[in-house]
Amino acid sequence: MSTAPFRFSDPGIHWTVPDPDELALRVRLRAARMVARHGLGYLGQALSSAEQVAAVFAVARPGRDQLVCSPGHYVIGPFAAAAELGLIGEDAIGTYGDDGAVFEAIGTERSPVFDYTCGSLGQGLSAAAGLALAGRLRDEDGSRVFAMVSDGELEEGQVWEAAMFAAHHRLDRLTVLLDANNSQVDGPVDTITTIEPIAAKWEAFGWHAADVDGHDTRAVAAALERAGAETARPSAIICRTSLKHGLDCLPADADGHFIKLPPGLADAAVAELTVKLRNLETPGARPA
Amino acid sequence: MPVLREPPYRTELKPYGRALVELARENPDVLCLSGDLTRQCEADLFAQAFPDRFIHGGMAEANMIGVAAALARKGFQPFVHTFGVFATRRPLDQIVNAVAYPRLPVRLVGFMPGVSSPGGPSHQAIDDVALMRALPNLTVVDVADAVETRQAVRAVSAVAGPVYLRLKRGEIPVIFGEDHVLRLDRVEVITAISGGVDVVLFASGMMLAPALAAARALNRAGVAVRVVGVPVIKPLDTEGVLEAAATAKVLVTAENHLITGGLGSAVAETVAEAGLGRPLRRIGLRDTFAEGALTAGYLLEKYGLSTQAIIDAIWDVLGGQGPAPAAPPSKAEAGEYSPV
Repeated sequence: MSTAPFRFSDPGIHWTVPDPDELALRVRLRAARMVARHGLGYLGQALSSAEQVAAVFAVARPGRDQLVCSPGHYVIGPFAAAAELGLIGEDAIGTYGDDGAVFEAIGTERSPVFDYTCGSLGQGLSAAAGLALAGRLRDEDGSRVFAMVSDGELEEGQVWEAAMFAAHHRLDRLTVLLDANNSQVDGPVDTITTIEPIAAKWEAFGWHAADVDGHDTRAVAAALERAGAETARPSAIICRTSLKHGLDCLPADADGHFIKLPPGLADAAVAELTVKLRNLETPGARPA
Repeated sequence: MPVLREPPYRTELKPYGRALVELARENPDVLCLSGDLTRQCEADLFAQAFPDRFIHGGMAEANMIGVAAALARKGFQPFVHTFGVFATRRPLDQIVNAVAYPRLPVRLVGFMPGVSSPGGPSHQAIDDVALMRALPNLTVVDVADAVETRQAVRAVSAVAGPVYLRLKRGEIPVIFGEDHVLRLDRVEVITAISGGVDVVLFASGMMLAPALAAARALNRAGVAVRVVGVPVIKPLDTEGVLEAAATAKVLVTAENHLITGGLGSAVAETVAEAGLGRPLRRIGLRDTFAEGALTAGYLLEKYGLSTQAIIDAIWDVLGGQGPAPAAPPSKAEAGEYSPV
């Protein structure tokens, strides 16, 4: 198991995802354990994006494609996936969120896995467009850039500056995974700013857009494959999700942006997800 | 001591733009981004010479900074062009997070410094040095003439991290002789005087010309003024500042900028930290925006950035008897430049 920090596009890096659904479940379980150590954290972001993370690890070509995480609070999902795929050592991932840790809860320049991440929301798409443009200028047009973006970020003007820029430059290697979980700090996005119709907005900006069930790993992966076939425009995959998806033990009034996970609830979460994982691996074959 | 020309200075057009094309000829990684002010920022020369390496950012500075930062991450050397106000105020958070923190070799080139243009407060970069100087990893450069401008392009391209380069727009005076060498790592004593020094006058950017004119008038009146050019506000050559400051009774700074956060503040901090007790006067905008102008000269006089204002400040702080010496008349034919 490698413990050296890596980035998605590092030459020579390798991983395979035999079963994206299992990886999504493992991301949930791993993330619950990561957050449980501190009793609270960005578990909701992992629950919301687990299928997107699993799909992008399944579709991306290691060492060639690039991963941008625009909302730095979402780094937990790809960190968990990388740990599950053996790309980050147990000792290293075990420091997530600690004082002095490289694995800060909100992405920094030191965060492994990503080719770019930033905690100041709304900036990642510009970086992703720049990476895609760099690939073209370097005649490395084959490298895809996957950008995780959250729906709340659509309130930031820079996202739309970047959307216009990417379409104008026909950056077809750029694909946005938009986590549409209808959640921001002050409450549901649609009670704060009307961002719908999301797909129509991206289409009007000259993008290929798809609207999918963000908790259907195969649908997300298929949309990613379909986006890769675009030849003149960037793609946005709007993934409809929930911050509490796949973890039934969470209380109904849990704050999805920053989930509290005290010891009792943490134990229940780990137990629930462990059972689900066993059932997925060997349906009906083993006792829970 | 550098060779100095006499005002009125002859001027050059597009010394920056030509130097950038020269650099780009040698270095294929040099890219040019522009925020809809291409000709005004002399980047039209690059666009003509290297259309494939010229990128329109449009009126979208936040995105342009993010794109430039990603290009720098991939080994390119992007020069980003717009007016100083739009280069610094509008995308400040993008510069902080995408450029300064990762210490990327992005060169932000901001034209129209301070009150050098009649564009009104919306177009006057009076706080750009303060904003950029506040950021870790940034190098902040404010050059004085065409000779320095030409050399600045190559000099900033050799800086490992991000640079904010502040440039006058339009006709650029030639103040220095051709053999003048711009150094980014030190301040430079520009005027020789024999005997004791009354005043050390630190000047940056466009204020070097009026500083030299003020020094000349004061020297004639028996006040020994030594002018020190400060082309790099950050990182400041504190050793050079202290060495120069120690020789003087009084210190004065002159900047085409607010007196807070820029050259004046940098010198004050340096001198105070060293325990070098000297009276200090700062020439620049004093906690105000600058309104009401057709010409730059009007604004420079109205807000106390003229040659006479420098003379008066020095006369005042030295307790000079009688009226202060008069600044020389600002005479310039078309194509010439003389400080007001």
